Amino acid sequence: MSVRDRYWLRLLLLVGIPVGVLLLFFVLPLVIMLWLSFHDGMPPAPYTLENYVRLFDGLYLNVLWRTLTMTVQVTVLVTIVGYTLAYSVVQFSRRTTLLLLLVILPFWTNYIVRMYALINIFQTGGAMSWALNAVGVLNEDYGMLFTHEAVLIGLAYVWLPLATLPFYASLSNLDTDLIDASKDLGAGPIKTFYSVTLPLTYNGLIAGIILVAIPTFGAFVTPALLGGTDQIMIGNVIDQQFNQAFNWPFGAAIGIFVSLIVLVVLGLSTKIGGNIVGVGGDQQ
Amino acid sequence: MSALGSAFGWLERFCHNYGPKIGRSTIVIVLLALWLPIVLVVVMSFAADGVLSFPPDNLTLEWYFVFLENDAAISSVFTTMKVSLVATPITVALATMLSYGVSRYDFRGKSAIQGLVTLPIIVPLIVVGVALALFFGMINVGGGFWSVVAAHVVRTIPFAALIILPTFMTFDRSLEEASKDLGANELETFWNVTLPNIMPAIVAGGILAFTVSFNEFIYTYFVRGTGMETMPIYLWSRIQHNVTPEVNVLSVVFLVVAILLVLVAVLLTNISRLTMRS
Repeated sequence: MSVRDRYWLRLLLLVGIPVGVLLLFFVLPLVIMLWLSFHDGMPPAPYTLENYVRLFDGLYLNVLWRTLTMTVQVTVLVTIVGYTLAYSVVQFSRRTTLLLLLVILPFWTNYIVRMYALINIFQTGGAMSWALNAVGVLNEDYGMLFTHEAVLIGLAYVWLPLATLPFYASLSNLDTDLIDASKDLGAGPIKTFYSVTLPLTYNGLIAGIILVAIPTFGAFVTPALLGGTDQIMIGNVIDQQFNQAFNWPFGAAIGIFVSLIVLVVLGLSTKIGGNIVGVGGDQQ
Repeated sequence: MSALGSAFGWLERFCHNYGPKIGRSTIVIVLLALWLPIVLVVVMSFAADGVLSFPPDNLTLEWYFVFLENDAAISSVFTTMKVSLVATPITVALATMLSYGVSRYDFRGKSAIQGLVTLPIIVPLIVVGVALALFFGMINVGGGFWSVVAAHVVRTIPFAALIILPTFMTFDRSLEEASKDLGANELETFWNVTLPNIMPAIVAGGILAFTVSFNEFIYTYFVRGTGMETMPIYLWSRIQHNVTPEVNVLSVVFLVVAILLVLVAVLLTNISRLTMRS
């Protein structure tokens, strides 16, 4: 075997095997899902577009609208709090590593455990009810489980650490001399913020927004545990079609639809300058 | 000066004077909000009266003993360990091969491959979970141990690669060239020179992959079929049907394991590696 052949063989083994695994267990399943979504029942059933048309029925349109509203609300909330947090860590504190670690560690705690922790707080007679009674705001048991707000807070709680990371990265790369220069030239803190800081951390801002918006749109566990049957999001409909209604083609169509939306959002974000590929995070 | 202008000036002075205070308060409030629910779970795991009594009147270790005698809970711990201990070495091997190939060889489509490796993090978990279940159903494999392991490998590869790849990229290649000049072949060079140097990143990547696999819920939920009950699945069904005090104990087990693992990974690599690729 020539040196050149051995080179290609090695490359094929080294890169080919991992890529092969991803093609087999990641890309192929998604392709099968796409294929199935065009069937009227399990193959060899005839081809149809009905599954996609059905998505725009009143019932599912309602769920889609709720999912979209929730995504926007969670993203705005997390962006404001997370950016403020990252800004404060960079500008006003010295123990950056410790603070960052304290922000990240809850994120690596099991997702279901974090949801359970919130259930303890939100449930009727739970920690929040106790606290409100203790300070005298209320004089009865209170609970906010299975409400829109519970899901909103739950999603914001899990994504806040994730969004804070790219915010922090872009803010800590910002040259502080530029801020000082702006202030020396007479701009106040607010003017400096929107004419210097914000434009220069734009990419990190977009990356954080994407990291929150995408998994929120596909959320399934949080609305199931904190929202119950009244607050279902599109992810829960996929679960229902798959595990209860056993309408796999329709479930597949919703999955493809959600993926398409994610791709469009990603495409838009790269167009306006965010770079998500460099940011590793986790979603659930 | 207009009223609006003077209001703006007042706001500027307010931010100038109180900005740092507001910032520091934000840090304290957000950290409290992040940690309070977690601390409460730990406290409740010692509550004598069980799950529905806040605040606890008496503290006890009783539920820890009850947990240890709960066969279903303990068996879910072992199932999780089995899946994660099998999936993690596979993931680390694949991520290391890929990183070595991408950093040492020149070929077309490199950025496409890097995109492919990142994609499982980006596509909503429920979509891939359902797609994997469809796939295993169609090829008549169904759920079970190896299907869950395959799902965990897909889920964890991005995390391992995100840590291992940059280390290969920044590794000083002249060391490898020196080894080859001294007569070692490529495999000997990799084994004796490259591997010891990138070992911390491989271990950190492995720990991170293990942590993700250990916590994995959604892929497992769809792929497992019946019978495979990992810790997150067990926790999920307990919460949905009947919360017992052991749920708090199981949560504490999760917490301790995850925090220890992440702290070790942070010590081995640096914190920025763990959070972003730079």
